Amino acid sequence: MNRTAPDAFTLRLAELLAQCALKNRISFNDLYKLTAAKLYGVALRILKRPDWAEEVLQECYVNIWNHAGDYRVAKSAPLTWMTSIVRNRCLDWLRRPQTEATGEQYDVAVEAWRDDAPGPMEQLVASNEAAALAQCLRQLDPKQRQSIMLAFFNGLSHSEVARHMNQPLGTVKTWVRRGLERLKSCLAPGEV
Amino acid sequence: MASYKDPQLRDGLAAEYVIGTLRGRARERFEALMRYDYELRRTVAAWEARLTPLATAAGEIAPPARVWQAISKRIGGAQHVANGLAGLGFWRGLAIASTALMLLLATYTGVAPRPEAPMAMVAVMNDDKGQPALVVSWPPMKAMRDPHIRIKVVQAHPAMEPGTSWEMWMLPGGKAAPISLGLITTDRDQVMKVNPALAPKMGDAWGIAMSVEPGRGSPTGAPTGPVIFKGQCVKIL
Repeated sequence: MNRTAPDAFTLRLAELLAQCALKNRISFNDLYKLTAAKLYGVALRILKRPDWAEEVLQECYVNIWNHAGDYRVAKSAPLTWMTSIVRNRCLDWLRRPQTEATGEQYDVAVEAWRDDAPGPMEQLVASNEAAALAQCLRQLDPKQRQSIMLAFFNGLSHSEVARHMNQPLGTVKTWVRRGLERLKSCLAPGEV
Repeated sequence: MASYKDPQLRDGLAAEYVIGTLRGRARERFEALMRYDYELRRTVAAWEARLTPLATAAGEIAPPARVWQAISKRIGGAQHVANGLAGLGFWRGLAIASTALMLLLATYTGVAPRPEAPMAMVAVMNDDKGQPALVVSWPPMKAMRDPHIRIKVVQAHPAMEPGTSWEMWMLPGGKAAPISLGLITTDRDQVMKVNPALAPKMGDAWGIAMSVEPGRGSPTGAPTGPVIFKGQCVKIL
């Protein structure tokens, strides 16, 4: 994969993670200040309940503190590494049997993600790093794009996406799979 | 399980793992496979790199303050990290309390307990007006698995100019050239790894200096910019 030179923010996070590996609490606090709002947004969008999102965020930062030494700059960007930890924990959380359906009273929490709010696409275009991704998402068939966004962004399962879009499960599965394939070839043409 | 060897299937599963549509038992199986399959982990990492900007681009929501308080408590940190001045009293109190405890122990057992990480060397680095700016200290390097030095800011830092960096130098003394220790950040308290090859020499360091260098550090291996802080090392152990 072709990687662009890391920006100042990425370098800063990598530096802070290196300090966390050496158990520097002040750096950990700085790391939290720089990333918590991003990661809380990620968790809240998937879990839709502030109490769950807070608990997951807490657990994930404790994990990040404990495993900062395992982080390798060469393998992934710091924010990618941290976001993946949070996303995976959220998906695990939703798998718990005791997880009840999300109540409507929590919809207020996701007000920020209303459809008419400045959408993720606009924000993607605004951030340089993700401009290529936004461009490729634009090129997808709208249904492929919507199903991928619902799954990735809001943590919906195939069947939840199908229900949301009022489409058969098999159709949605195909949209997601084809969309991902096209996204990959658009992002890295020539790569198999 | 032969199907797991099909590259296209592996790539597809990795993508669905990352976007989260791989659920339940399938997700668990996939995670189990990943544990022993380096290539599969790389495929997943590539998908994470492709899609993560999408996850974080949606804007930010500040979590309530109690989240950090809970995290701080769980990692055994004190509140002082969040609020600088309030912490000073706490640490002073702790220092007095532990000194008292040490004296008490010494009285009863006849030996003073060894502090957990005894510092072997310390250097107070002054600015050009002779005011202390940074304190650098390190434990004995010999027995350390992760040789490091600790750097604390005593007075307010000057601002780091954009496009510049701060490089620390070990001054071996005499006519020997300064040896780079690496770049430091503007953090008030930081720990800096020391190249293990350099670690044995740290016990004989004469002084420590900090120079202002271009963004990625001195291009020549010797200080090129102005030295703004320096100080002599004192053996304390």
